[in-house]
Amino acid sequence: MISQPARKRLNIRMPALGGQGAVTAAHIIATAADYEGYYAVSNPFFGAEKRMAPAESYARIGIEPIYDRGEVVYPDIIMVFHHHVITMGKSYTMPFYSGIKRDGIIIINTDEELLKPEDYKKLESINVKVLNFPATKIAIDIAGTELSTNMAMIGVLFGATQIVGLPAIEEGIKSRFMKKFVASGGTASLDSALERKFKKKLELIEKNLNTAREAFNMALEWAKENGISPMLPPAPMKKQEPVQA
Amino acid sequence: MGNNGVYQGVNKSGQKIVSPDYMLFEAPREKVFMTGSEAVKEAVKRASVDASVSYPITPQSEAAHLIGELWVEGYVGVYFRGESEFGVMSEVAGCSMAGARVITTTSGPGTLRAMENFPMWAGSRLPIQLVLMARGVNSPLSIQPDNLEISFLLDTGCMIWHAENAQELFDMILAGFVVAEKTDVHVPIITAIDGFFISHTRESIMIPPEDIALPPYNPYVSPTPIIDAEIAPGRYIKDPFVMKSNYISYATHASWQWEVRAAIERSRPYAKHYLRGLIEEFGDSEAELVFIASGTAASQAKEATRMLLDEGIKAKVVKVKSIRPFPHQELLEATKTAKYIIVPEFNVVGWLEREVRASFYGKSNATIIGTPRVAGGMTMPPEIIYRDALKILGKEVSYVL
Amino acid sequence: MSFNIYKVNEELREFMPPEILELEEKATWGNPKRGVMDLPYAKELLEEHSLCAGCPESDAFRYILASLPNPEDTIIVNSTGCTSLVFPQIALHTVHSLFGNQNAVASGIKRVLEYRFPNKVKDVVVLAGDGATVDIGLDCTLQSFFRQEKITTICYDNEVYANTGGQESGLTVKGHVFKMAPKGKQWDKVPMWQLAIDSGCHYVVRMTVSSPRRVEQAVKKAIYVAREVGPTYIHLYTPCILEIGRNSDEGLEEMKLGDKERFSFFEYMTPQAEEVIKRKKEEGLI
Repeated sequence: MISQPARKRLNIRMPALGGQGAVTAAHIIATAADYEGYYAVSNPFFGAEKRMAPAESYARIGIEPIYDRGEVVYPDIIMVFHHHVITMGKSYTMPFYSGIKRDGIIIINTDEELLKPEDYKKLESINVKVLNFPATKIAIDIAGTELSTNMAMIGVLFGATQIVGLPAIEEGIKSRFMKKFVASGGTASLDSALERKFKKKLELIEKNLNTAREAFNMALEWAKENGISPMLPPAPMKKQEPVQA
Repeated sequence: MGNNGVYQGVNKSGQKIVSPDYMLFEAPREKVFMTGSEAVKEAVKRASVDASVSYPITPQSEAAHLIGELWVEGYVGVYFRGESEFGVMSEVAGCSMAGARVITTTSGPGTLRAMENFPMWAGSRLPIQLVLMARGVNSPLSIQPDNLEISFLLDTGCMIWHAENAQELFDMILAGFVVAEKTDVHVPIITAIDGFFISHTRESIMIPPEDIALPPYNPYVSPTPIIDAEIAPGRYIKDPFVMKSNYISYATHASWQWEVRAAIERSRPYAKHYLRGLIEEFGDSEAELVFIASGTAASQAKEATRMLLDEGIKAKVVKVKSIRPFPHQELLEATKTAKYIIVPEFNVVGWLEREVRASFYGKSNATIIGTPRVAGGMTMPPEIIYRDALKILGKEVSYVL
Repeated sequence: MSFNIYKVNEELREFMPPEILELEEKATWGNPKRGVMDLPYAKELLEEHSLCAGCPESDAFRYILASLPNPEDTIIVNSTGCTSLVFPQIALHTVHSLFGNQNAVASGIKRVLEYRFPNKVKDVVVLAGDGATVDIGLDCTLQSFFRQEKITTICYDNEVYANTGGQESGLTVKGHVFKMAPKGKQWDKVPMWQLAIDSGCHYVVRMTVSSPRRVEQAVKKAIYVAREVGPTYIHLYTPCILEIGRNSDEGLEEMKLGDKERFSFFEYMTPQAEEVIKRKKEEGLI
């Protein structure tokens, strides 16, 4: 049970490897939360990210204005994008869950168990739940490419936390791919690689949405099974439901 | 937005010209979700900017790219990549001397590479705007957040404002031109942010419509002649006076330097108006524990203040928006009830603490403590500020992470 | 025309010093055919100077200022050194900002003037010494050439840092003993005119200032080409008579020696520059 009714903020840390789209995921997560009516901020780890080297990004979602900036040292949620974060220590913090707050959640992209009994012992002592989730597998099954792993991770986050619904997630994904977006040269070239693979942008968005949706529903089920209630109070600036096209 | 008298024709980009007050305070605003770098683009787009020169350095590159996009889109008249920050700051000086409203951006080592130019800008009374996205300097190499470089700029004769977030940066860029270009001010304006924390962070900000813009710069309000061969040249045109060795030239040079500092002082009423005050207060007005902070450190202190207020501790943040001019009176006034003044900073030297100490010497009985000092790229979790504050108050640190 | 800015306000006429009144009455404004032959009759744009007596740099200043085809719309950008002693005496818009950044400042000025006054001709001319052009400012000099800035760069090569007391410069000849090269300079004089060609200048000339008419020709060619095509470079030998132990009346003799050896007249132009020069000659402007 989540025993912290006073929680006003979710700080999310996303350890990943360069090229997995964790920066894009943080961007979409914050955009979706903003669209849902929460205060939201996202930022990448500040450094020279390289393909397959450790890369982290962060999102903060809350019910009051967010001032806090920079790396999330004390997260409520940790989303591990790649098993190397755990198995090879490709993480900015050791262990990767250092700083996790009481009643938090750890989501790991894996189809096998990576944590040791002593890890579980530690995490259980502060009521942190662990969700092993095969995000890459789902991305390949649904979108046909592991490049959509980040979309699955977005879906699983919001399914597990139950704070942002599917319409807002769709809005976040659409705004990321429809609008001109400049993050860095590297991201631009990744985008064009993605586009080449999918040929059409709309097709790409649809596949991404489907991936996120599937992950969302699976995680929602997990949350209900584990008795996890929504991790934040309702959004303070809730919009009208968008009219579905 | 009818014809309510704020429109004064169109600028070279075809945008409707509005008064600075309308732009900053009255125009309807729309929420957008973007990075600080993108906010720079949106501000420049509405600022009737004539020229910008760029050079790559992390973390300011993206803002510089985006100004280049504005040039392609027709919102900026002159744009190119210079050869180095020294070259760039000289090129924008040339642009400004020739009568342009100019903006440029730099970071960390770039600031130091360009250093010789900043006092020259001030001495030449050029109202250039430098958006400074602070990062560590090479001592040794770092590309991470760290605002040590601001301390090097304090005595260059430039105005320095320190924005806390993308919203404030957006507004400061627009206000910066307005204040810096006043005839009785007319000195450079450095609008600083903590790089990465603002430039690379995506957040929601409110911006006015893109079809309105600030009134274009009128170069003939300059207190020194513009170098465009359209007005009579002065006998001493933007010259230092060193080539004459006599007492008149010494006195002239000295008084010229004083005048630059006096010009910064004269920016106070304008800055107060357009920034809505040189400081901002957050928290308990009767606080005994007061954080004085600027930029991102103010953000982190606000989060810590929330935690302290939750514990029933009277705390507040006094955010310093303007470093030059320095808000001596405002800070004294805002810390009247303070027993402890804590100055958290993102640099190893504690330049803001020094400023506060010098300003408060003999005028305040509060104990001033510079902590935490975060540098080299480390983040400043509010929990750490909170912990330090409790220690200073002699209280038990009860918060459990 | 911008020479109107030299008209004296009638209300203030009685208070104006004679050199200002002369600028209005006797300077050659609005006449692109002006040149060094006007020197004995017209009011010069240089009012006295603060260089050493007999300094060839002062000759260069007088000839260049007399030859500008469009002085009322010409901006002079200077740098630090002996030349910086002169610019407050020049009756045009001049700039000094830092040591070595002259071509960067000139780039900014030129581009903004083109933007602000698209229908006017505004010439930007850099006048700087060898230290400023080739040593401390080499980056800014060459980069302005690479960028094809439409400015004319004139280097006063006296082969030494004269204003600071006679130190070796990049343009000092190999073996010459100056301060900071107490064993004699260890490396060759920098062939700046060649660097200018390789870096994209469209008109390059190397010469002394022994012949006023030849200076006039070079200045006019360089400015006309810069206006239409791109960067131009003039390399002038203006020996420091003080530092090489010459008397005040021996500058001309030294330059004439230079004409015969390492400063023998050398001129380079691209086909585009040649076309402009040919046309200007046909128009009787060169």
